[in-house]
Amino acid sequence: MRLFFILSLLLLTSFAFGQKNCNVFLYQGDTLQYEACKTARQSGRYYQFSREYQMTHDRALEIYPNYADSYTSKSTAYLKSGDFITWKQLMNKAVSLSPEEHLGYRGWCRYQFFRDYEGAIADIERLDELIDYDIGHSVNSDYHLNIAKAICYKALGQSEKAIQIIETQMRQSDHFVGEYDYFHLGILYLEKGDYQKSIKLLDQQNDHNELADAHYYQAKAYQELGQVELAKQKVAQAKTLYSAGRKAFDGYTHIDDEIDLRDIEEYESALP
Amino acid sequence: MHFLTKRPNPLHFLYLLLGISLATCTRPQQTIESTENTYLRWVGDIEFDAAMDNPDFELCTDDSQIKQYFNDSQGLEYEGEKYTLERTIRDQYDTQKAKKESGWLRIRFVVNCKGKTDRFRVIGADENYEARDFHKSITDQLLNIAKSLDGWLPKTIDGQQIDYYQYLVFKIEDGQLTEILP
Repeated sequence: MRLFFILSLLLLTSFAFGQKNCNVFLYQGDTLQYEACKTARQSGRYYQFSREYQMTHDRALEIYPNYADSYTSKSTAYLKSGDFITWKQLMNKAVSLSPEEHLGYRGWCRYQFFRDYEGAIADIERLDELIDYDIGHSVNSDYHLNIAKAICYKALGQSEKAIQIIETQMRQSDHFVGEYDYFHLGILYLEKGDYQKSIKLLDQQNDHNELADAHYYQAKAYQELGQVELAKQKVAQAKTLYSAGRKAFDGYTHIDDEIDLRDIEEYESALP
Repeated sequence: MHFLTKRPNPLHFLYLLLGISLATCTRPQQTIESTENTYLRWVGDIEFDAAMDNPDFELCTDDSQIKQYFNDSQGLEYEGEKYTLERTIRDQYDTQKAKKESGWLRIRFVVNCKGKTDRFRVIGADENYEARDFHKSITDQLLNIAKSLDGWLPKTIDGQQIDYYQYLVFKIEDGQLTEILP
């Protein structure tokens, strides 16, 4: 318990720097890893795509070849440039050295950047088996990894399982509601044909994080219930919010279930 | 479920710290002296190749200034948004002509400040992320489609026009396009 407290304190103090506190290793008596960590921290001066950033982590790995964080750090530019081959090689190394710390990140990225649903599920479930504490969130913090896993199951045609996973996760007392939790769940119920429940969940989404996308799907639910006027109102709201930039958005890739303006306009023109 | 009884994750602190660091995109700063030439300026840089690139394609800045498509925080920008981009690609891609192969194929290229494109480069991987070449019935089709796309929006950063790298990743299953990213 004392060790946990001290480690937590060391880690919390490093939030301001946005990087791991190397004193964790010093406290553990691991001087090589401490030196590697200190060297790796210098990469913060450089853009993560840059030669200098990569070389700084190479120097850290020369000091301590098993410094897993540097493999993950090096991998990120490859990920963001779409180089799935180099990215995966680097992440495999990080995961082999420290699966508890890096499986969640690899799993999330397999989903977010490559829609590798089976691979993402495998990583997240393996992490779940390895540890006895919460598996955590996506690197952008928008999703608990169980929610991400559920979306992967939905993509593989297992919508009932996706609903069950999301609802179980959201019932956890310590669940921190993500940016799109109610949104995805509401759409799952819409597709299942439970329109009232879908509308209610999308209302909760809009209370938490109002999205043009959520209003758009509510319009569809109202139309299914024969309430065309309400559907039209919802479409109008979706359009207004869309114009104001209140929509599902990720700077790197698209978000599952997100809509574009053309989706709204096509749907609007098809309404009776 | 296994996660029902779980307590807060101490390693999550570590994970979040790493995540904050990884998710942060800062501008390039001063370069350091080195004899290492393993890397180009930036990961994924595409140098002009007279054998395959259009000599008339002009950058509005220069090679040392080409950004990434997400550096302006606007993400992928195409006339008519992702909806139009994806529909344009799918309308042109003929699955019947494609060999039944699977994996990922990435096409990376430069978009200049006028929305024109060139310097197309292709990589492929199988379902295990191992490098592979796809049959030309897939590669040539997608490359030709990518080269024909003319809706890329010019981008600016701090009011300055930029050239930027864009990529398209195609997830392919038995020759069918199942996902188009980013």
